[in-house]
Amino acid sequence: MNCEELQDHYELFAIGVAEEPERGEIRAHLSRGCEVCMAGVKGAMEIVALVGSTAAPAQPPKHLRRRILASVGAERRTWGWMPVWATAAVLLALVAVYFANEQRGSALEALRSAEEAQGLRDQIRSQTIELTRLTEAFAILNGPETKEATFGNSQPKPPRGKVFVNPAQGVLLMASNLPPAPAGKLYEMWVIPKSGKPLPAGLFQSETNGSAMHVRRGAVDIDATGAVAVTVENEQGADQPTSQPLIVAALGNLPPR
Amino acid sequence: MLGHRYPACNPNWALARIIDERLRRPMGLLDGRATVMVPILLFADASGTDADLIERLRRRDPEALADLYDRYGRAVYSLILRVVRDTAIAEDLVQETFLRVWNRVHGLDGERGSLGAWLMTVARNRAIDYLRSTAGRERNALELDETDHPALYRDIEPDILNADKTRRVRAAMEKLSPNLRTVMELAYFEGLSQTEMAERIGQPLGTVKTWVRTALKSLRAELGVAVAP
Repeated sequence: MNCEELQDHYELFAIGVAEEPERGEIRAHLSRGCEVCMAGVKGAMEIVALVGSTAAPAQPPKHLRRRILASVGAERRTWGWMPVWATAAVLLALVAVYFANEQRGSALEALRSAEEAQGLRDQIRSQTIELTRLTEAFAILNGPETKEATFGNSQPKPPRGKVFVNPAQGVLLMASNLPPAPAGKLYEMWVIPKSGKPLPAGLFQSETNGSAMHVRRGAVDIDATGAVAVTVENEQGADQPTSQPLIVAALGNLPPR
Repeated sequence: MLGHRYPACNPNWALARIIDERLRRPMGLLDGRATVMVPILLFADASGTDADLIERLRRRDPEALADLYDRYGRAVYSLILRVVRDTAIAEDLVQETFLRVWNRVHGLDGERGSLGAWLMTVARNRAIDYLRSTAGRERNALELDETDHPALYRDIEPDILNADKTRRVRAAMEKLSPNLRTVMELAYFEGLSQTEMAERIGQPLGTVKTWVRTALKSLRAELGVAVAP
């Protein structure tokens, strides 16, 4: 079919309701770099994307942002109202100091209380992030479609551990005997397709006791995935592995658990 | 009355209309030619901002993901919630959407890629894929994947989610007859094929096909999006 015959089908293709043979023809035109069809489909994509903006506005819950950032280890260093609360806490402490001086002359005690309150807030925040991570890990472990692979057992040296892959939830890596990555470096997990380039799956660091748990949320095509691997990379991460993998967990033909 | 003279591609036609009606007409300066805002200048800031964001995402700057969420999180959540109608599932799918974009952004053109259009397509595809999988319907992930490949989102208008565009697309949807609007919503928000739509609304397949095409053509005409060079 020529481009003119396909012109009325670009939007149908973009919205996902094009039928054969037109759908296959548009695919073929796109795959051979047909500029007319490419421009037509792009125009259609724009219309289709715009239709999405007609959905009734809804406000996402505040914890969703934190959850998304935590899932890629990208928690922001400023946390909305936290600086305001911290400032308020310090002011309250100073007021307390004033009255304490008046009454007992015990300013140091009030300042210590403010510091302790700040410390508690930091602790709650890090525990919330950890809880999110554990909840995500549990969802993967608990998924009926989850498959698992072990790594390191046949090697004389650690690290050892397991990788759990759920097609809808994502990948969970649990390792032991993995020493913390050196200063300026982090571990980066990779999902390696059977064909194609490794896909970056997030940065993580191990604990001082050598244990590590890393979750990458998101759908995974298990049948198209060959392995999960871990390399050491610069702390800003890499688009492709730049060092030999420390961990390789092959996923080939794994039975469900 | 001057509406037809305001260029469809101008993102700030509403502002131009206000200038004419509130300032030029009372002062007797309306000479028959509508005020034309300069689209390139008006777009420069928005596209530059998105281009900068794409660049930072490609460098895997963690702050960029936070900025991406702050800019598009509400639109993505609204769309996904409209499709799946369950807040817990919507949250999972929003997370999946942003992770997919975070992991595939290297394929998006840093200078000419349309982050908003791509993100909305990824979001819709994730939600439709979920609906199809839970309803036991045919789940053609390949078909969805082929429309959210980042390379397709080059040279599409970068700032498609601005208030003016959103208002225009809402108006265009409202102008559709009830039958046309129904098939558009079934196709877009429920991911039904034309055969499934015919079964759902009890109309012949040929009629549904005509309605779908007519609806899409009307939107194309109303929104003034070029389809071929």
